[in-house]
Amino acid sequence: MTAGGIPLAAFITAMLAAGLVAAAPLVLAALGEAVGEKSGLLNLGIEGMMLSGAFFGFYAAYQTGGALWGVLAGIAVGLTLGLLFAVLTVSLRVDQVLVGLAITIFGGGLTAFLYRDIFGGQNPSLSVDTPRIAIPALSGIPILGDAMFNQGLLFYLAFLLVSVFAFLLARTRFGLQVRAVGEHPFAADASGVDVTRTRYLAALIAGAMAGLAGAFLSVADLKIFQVGMTVGTGFIALALTMVGGWNPYRILLASVLFGLLRSLGNGLQILGIDVRTEFITMLPYIGIMVALALLAGRTSLPAALGVPYARGRR
Amino acid sequence: MRHGVFPARFAPLLTSVAAIAAAMVLGGLFLAIRGKDPIAAYGMLASRGLGTSYGITETLIRMAPLLIVSAGLLISLRAGVWNIGIDGQLMVGALFAGVAAAAVAGQIANPLMWVIAALAGMGGGLLWALVPGILRVRWGLNEIITTLMMNYVALNVTSWLVKGPVKDPSVVPPQTVLIPREMRLPAIPETGVHVGLVVGLIVVVLVTILFRHTVIGFMLDVVGRNRQAAIHAGMPVNRLTLVALLASGALAGLAGANDILGVKGLFQGNWNPGYGFAAFALVYLARLNSLWIIPFAYFLSFLAIGGEMMARPLGIPTYFVEMLEGLMLICFAVATYFERMRSPFGHQEEVETGPANAGEAPEALVGEPLLEPVAQPTGGRP
Repeated sequence: MTAGGIPLAAFITAMLAAGLVAAAPLVLAALGEAVGEKSGLLNLGIEGMMLSGAFFGFYAAYQTGGALWGVLAGIAVGLTLGLLFAVLTVSLRVDQVLVGLAITIFGGGLTAFLYRDIFGGQNPSLSVDTPRIAIPALSGIPILGDAMFNQGLLFYLAFLLVSVFAFLLARTRFGLQVRAVGEHPFAADASGVDVTRTRYLAALIAGAMAGLAGAFLSVADLKIFQVGMTVGTGFIALALTMVGGWNPYRILLASVLFGLLRSLGNGLQILGIDVRTEFITMLPYIGIMVALALLAGRTSLPAALGVPYARGRR
Repeated sequence: MRHGVFPARFAPLLTSVAAIAAAMVLGGLFLAIRGKDPIAAYGMLASRGLGTSYGITETLIRMAPLLIVSAGLLISLRAGVWNIGIDGQLMVGALFAGVAAAAVAGQIANPLMWVIAALAGMGGGLLWALVPGILRVRWGLNEIITTLMMNYVALNVTSWLVKGPVKDPSVVPPQTVLIPREMRLPAIPETGVHVGLVVGLIVVVLVTILFRHTVIGFMLDVVGRNRQAAIHAGMPVNRLTLVALLASGALAGLAGANDILGVKGLFQGNWNPGYGFAAFALVYLARLNSLWIIPFAYFLSFLAIGGEMMARPLGIPTYFVEMLEGLMLICFAVATYFERMRSPFGHQEEVETGPANAGEAPEALVGEPLLEPVAQPTGGRP
């Protein structure tokens, strides 16, 4: 069987691979956001942090020629903006939505400015080496193998981190503290949990993961930077965090579904099937709203989400 | 600010002005680090943006949609509703207005055509705000996520419509039928600024009247300040929430219509001026006070136009202004902290503050779970 001149099996493999690659940065950013939200921090700056991670990751990889430096730069800038978010929302107790949007606007302007200022009208692409690593045996599975087990290192890392974050949130002391300060900061404080420290750490994790997700986009996946290249990916990750109910495995599921829906659009176009691509590209967004509507009432939000904490005040 | 030279009601403005000044200094430092002369940059920004008739005209033209969008955003923020879907509502409104105007242009008197297009634009924006509104009041879905998602749906829907059903078949690029220049909004006499600016100013005044002199405006304020109190007072909280969201959506649509009828004459695929974020910065800097929107709208429009005018001669990308807006909001966030510390009530934050002081989040939002259904004052689900 063929589809648009391509063997059907190869076509499905390509679509699966594209969907999973699209899901990887969403998973990364959403995992960090889940930790942040569990601690009571709603980070709308995730979009700007991701974009900054993409730019500084790209720039570092461009200058050094090493993908690793790009990834580290992405994490570093994410950490910096995460720290800024924590200072403003945790220490200064400014509204989280305001601070988040401010960081997103700033990140968009800063990266666009620097990119145009440094590269002028040029749009260089990276010549870094991000080798595909085929996992023995598994990569030989028909159809699935090549899509899931013949990818770059960062791709595997994204999916490995799902288990790491699940363990972190559910099984560690830190995870317990995060959940405690997100549900009831007063009780947590009274029982000796340092609310400020926990929320700072959560914000730093959220920032680092958003920066890493951005670096994945520019350094590992596309190997280019474009002005505003995240086009809402950060916000989507934020929504997927909620769709996944702050559970890393459900976040993974939601992200993969979103990624596959996205690659479906391109796939149908390649097949020459006469479906307006716009309908397919907007499906994931509508899917998120439908999923949230269906889940409404069944997921319980961290009780203190969005609420600043000050000792002795409630 | 008990002993300030300024009347107390202007004290909140000082916070905004300080934030803007700090952002300009930080932005200047940033330019210097990038090897550019900040004095020359700000000098040219001011001399070209404020000192040339072209700069002033363009500033005033840009100001019109910004005024309308910001007035709408102010309504929703005052009512404690985060409408982050301004951009989507504006695009849909602009498309609706473009289609409606093209359908009737030349067949009826121009002023009637403008009214029809404006109504169509408002209808489009309203429709786009209706979805998050219903999701909010029926299922308790937080509007932050849904309005954001609706932006991307708008991007795709308008792009599809303008490539297919409403495309001008006589041209290649995806766009609606062009409204001839002589049928668009006329200029204010003696100027090159179209009358959309007057519409913008009227909208701001109407919103001011809404909040100062009407019961609905009062109730919207109460809902924004203390949702629980509003419920206990028997106010139709859900309906007010919906009204706030729909009103800001309709005004975003009107702003889109304004740009179509006044400047562009048609809707093009992927046209997204991104007024949403600028409006956010603007409404916060204006301290959620509707009349103060006017000077800040002029200021931000001037920055945008001046930034475009200095970009080429000085080699400073126009995105500098966008960065500056972000910096202003960050500095504003810091400034509100110091303002709170300086207030006569010190560290108590829940004290009653005037509407002009409501620079922070409306409390209903931060205290309310994001996904759980809103408690219905009467009846409703258990």
